[in-house]
Amino acid sequence: MTRQEKIRNFCIVAHIDHGKSTLADRLMEATNTVAKRDMEEQMLDSMDIERERGITIKLTPATMKYTYNGEEYTLNLIDTPGHVDFSYEVSRSLAACEGAILVVDASQGVQAQTLANVYLALDANLEIIPVINKIDLPSADVAGTKKEIEDVIGIPCDEACEISAKTGLNITSVLDAIVKTVPSPKGDENKPLKALIFDSYYDSYKGAVSMVRIFDGSVKVGDEILFMQTNKTFMVTEVGVYTPQSSPTECLMAGEVGYIAASIKNVSDTKVGDTITLKNNPLEKPLDGYKEATSVVFCGIYPLDGDKYQELNDALEKLKLNDASLHFTKETSLALGHGFRCGFLGLLHMEIITERLEREFDLEIITTAPSVEYKIYDNKNKEFDVTNPSEMPPMASISKMEEPIVKMEIITPKEYLGGIMDLCADRRGIYHDMQYIDANRTRLIYTMPLNEIVYDFFDKIKSLSKGYASMDYELNGYQQSDLVKLDILLNGEICDALSLIVHKDKAYARGRALCEKLKTVIPRHLFEIPIQAVIGGKVIARETISAMRKDVLAKCYGGDVTRKRKLLEKQKEGKKRMRRLGSVDLPSEAFVTILKLDD
Amino acid sequence: MTKNFGLYIHIPFCSKKCDYCNFVSFSLNESVQKQYLQALLSEIDLVKDKYKDKTISTIFIGGGTPSIVYGGFVRELCQKLFSSFKFAKDCEFTIEANPRSLTEEKLKEYLSCGVNRISLGVQSLDEVVLNTIHREQTPQDVYAAFKLLKKYAVKNINADVIVGLPNQTYSSVLKTINYLKPRVQHISVYGLQIEEGTPLYNNIKSGKVAALPDDEVAEIFHKTAKNLARSGFKQYEISNFAKSGFECKHNYSYWNGTNYIGLGVAASSFINDVRFSNTSNFGEYINLLSKRQLPISERENLTINQKREERIMLALRTSKGLNLRAFQKEFGENLLVSKKHAIENLIKLNKIKIEKGFLKVVDFYVSNAVILELI
Repeated sequence: MTRQEKIRNFCIVAHIDHGKSTLADRLMEATNTVAKRDMEEQMLDSMDIERERGITIKLTPATMKYTYNGEEYTLNLIDTPGHVDFSYEVSRSLAACEGAILVVDASQGVQAQTLANVYLALDANLEIIPVINKIDLPSADVAGTKKEIEDVIGIPCDEACEISAKTGLNITSVLDAIVKTVPSPKGDENKPLKALIFDSYYDSYKGAVSMVRIFDGSVKVGDEILFMQTNKTFMVTEVGVYTPQSSPTECLMAGEVGYIAASIKNVSDTKVGDTITLKNNPLEKPLDGYKEATSVVFCGIYPLDGDKYQELNDALEKLKLNDASLHFTKETSLALGHGFRCGFLGLLHMEIITERLEREFDLEIITTAPSVEYKIYDNKNKEFDVTNPSEMPPMASISKMEEPIVKMEIITPKEYLGGIMDLCADRRGIYHDMQYIDANRTRLIYTMPLNEIVYDFFDKIKSLSKGYASMDYELNGYQQSDLVKLDILLNGEICDALSLIVHKDKAYARGRALCEKLKTVIPRHLFEIPIQAVIGGKVIARETISAMRKDVLAKCYGGDVTRKRKLLEKQKEGKKRMRRLGSVDLPSEAFVTILKLDD
Repeated sequence: MTKNFGLYIHIPFCSKKCDYCNFVSFSLNESVQKQYLQALLSEIDLVKDKYKDKTISTIFIGGGTPSIVYGGFVRELCQKLFSSFKFAKDCEFTIEANPRSLTEEKLKEYLSCGVNRISLGVQSLDEVVLNTIHREQTPQDVYAAFKLLKKYAVKNINADVIVGLPNQTYSSVLKTINYLKPRVQHISVYGLQIEEGTPLYNNIKSGKVAALPDDEVAEIFHKTAKNLARSGFKQYEISNFAKSGFECKHNYSYWNGTNYIGLGVAASSFINDVRFSNTSNFGEYINLLSKRQLPISERENLTINQKREERIMLALRTSKGLNLRAFQKEFGENLLVSKKHAIENLIKLNKIKIEKGFLKVVDFYVSNAVILELI
């Protein structure tokens, strides 16, 4: 048997919670890659946030040794982020494999993300190994789940593995199936180096490290490598494999999966999807399918305490070291002061970044309402992109506006169908298709504007369906739309951080809801504060916060002085945390209300 | 150095605590009162040398309910005070009393001790209101007390009135102050503070009693102040109204930075920029003094900024206001420059005014918000 015939490169695709990480843990245990006593629950999930929510954004790759019929095989498990925000990264990971394990929870069946990812895997021509997980659960329906996979996805399930990743039941059947079913790599060691970057990260000692799949050729320490998209060259300082900790090796050869370090300062030089070759013996053309990571969702991020601007800047820089898909530029808001306009791959990505800023960097931040990228054409038909509502030009100078559209796929038990269809219609969704997956569950296809789902659509779907429905979306181009900019005036002054771009038909209701909500969160001042929702100079809704009439401690004698002074100091501290717009003090909750209008 | 020196003595006994009260008070029998008196006398012995060169210009015996302690308590206390400290000739000497416990015997005792000002806890003459807060007092008690005060020709009387009680209306307050105006020289109008842990707080939280909305309380306050002003009671501090010449010197010392000694359980002192207070634990107070130890439990050395904040906060409680030049001399800060924007804004909103070098609050009932802009 040749060297490459004993290699299997595979990934695991699954819906959130269906057990991808647990299965990965068990595979490593069963192959003695990680001793059981060293096992941390869900070993490969490297970020706290992921571990806490039980969702996996990025798995570390792992190289495992498994003996089958007396031969030792090298099994390389490659990460696939389990969320649609990272579908480009998923596609690159899949491109690095020859096979995929499709994990489906026997108690829940096929879900929206299962489909999205399995289609990507099929597109990448991967061999698919169906694995029915959680068969130990009382609610498991193994036969039904198999039938569903056959009916909905069209993959035969006669030889599907039936396992419980949690208890470790039948785990070796999965390992056997990998060896038997997944094709071995067919690279040519003698051709010029052809390596695909499927992920990268920053290591404070090694610099930016590329996780690679070597298709052809080989690479070793001292080689001068060329990144074909960025056209940059570096000297290799270390190559190795993941066990799952990074372990240096002499070289990486065709068919193998590992890492390359080359004292690269910036992860933006190790772009996911880029092709690495040797400078002296380069490829003619890079691998297909490279894309720049583009931001889909945007929001402003500001420090709650204006003095922490530099700290926020440093924190974002640090996050960017590891996350080339995070974009940010300086931005100034009248209401919020200095901050950043940040671009994200999607909603989850946004949530992860804001949460990491708060947890890992201990920063208190204010985020403005998420926005999408609108295309605006002026009277001379010149196009420009707007991601911050406050940058939208006056309506009179606009000839046409377009907004991004997504194709939305929702899988739901049928009793929630009505509520979900109402919600989709309310969010300007256009119905396309409905299929019955089984007697109980339905798959809905809609197209709808991205700006209708960036607020609370996912939460809504979850609460409407008591958590049973699942959904997934992909960008589906732009569409002309009747959009308006909705401004909020506080005491006559525009609060730029509260401006929104909304569809004309929704502006009135949203404006009114915003005014009502703001009235409840802005404290009374010494003067009356009108809150107005305005479109192009026309007031469409108004509320008034009446002037404060009583704020006094009507008794202050010898024993009360200290207490009263401390009370004032506390209030003063609280006031410092507010944002002053003109003469109005805005608590940070004011900026959150815009996200939670329906509560 | 300010010349005045105040003395406060706390008598922590009540027949029953009212629903809104969070003051330190206990309903205890005569033997416990005797123990307490002994502790007080010991405390005086412990501190008297420290203040031997000071001339005390005001005494205030407060509570609790000082009038509830047994006859002779106050006399023994006063004898000790007079033999331990030096007092000014025109010393203002106030004792708090509640209408029900102020008997003729006790009043005679006080007057013979040199008490020249009586502060009567009237609170309200409205029976509905009194019942809501479970105050053991009827309007008849008040009428009787005033008859007594008239009989002994007491000429300097304060009445405490509380505003903002559940079920209270302006007409209820009006009835109370109309009765008081011809009989007293000083009225303290307290806004009810709903303090955590009091029965009233719990009753409001559980919905048993409805708190008066802030706007309504403010409305009653405004009307009450206006009414009192028309009758010659000048509002010289947020909650204090007096006929000319009857301002309470002792209370005033709290707001203008005068030094004062506090004796008794939970009493606070302010001496040379240090605030300290005695333990509020009754048993601990008695114990420490039986061992001849000072019962001080908290001490705070004011920083310059704390002093500055206190000066602004306390001066702006008074109608006289903050002396801007004196403030600049003491803290090296010209508020008109350092708080220019806030001051201009507040003047525009008619919340403050500047008169002859004094910064004054116009609308006392939002003084917290005003002070916050200035500290």
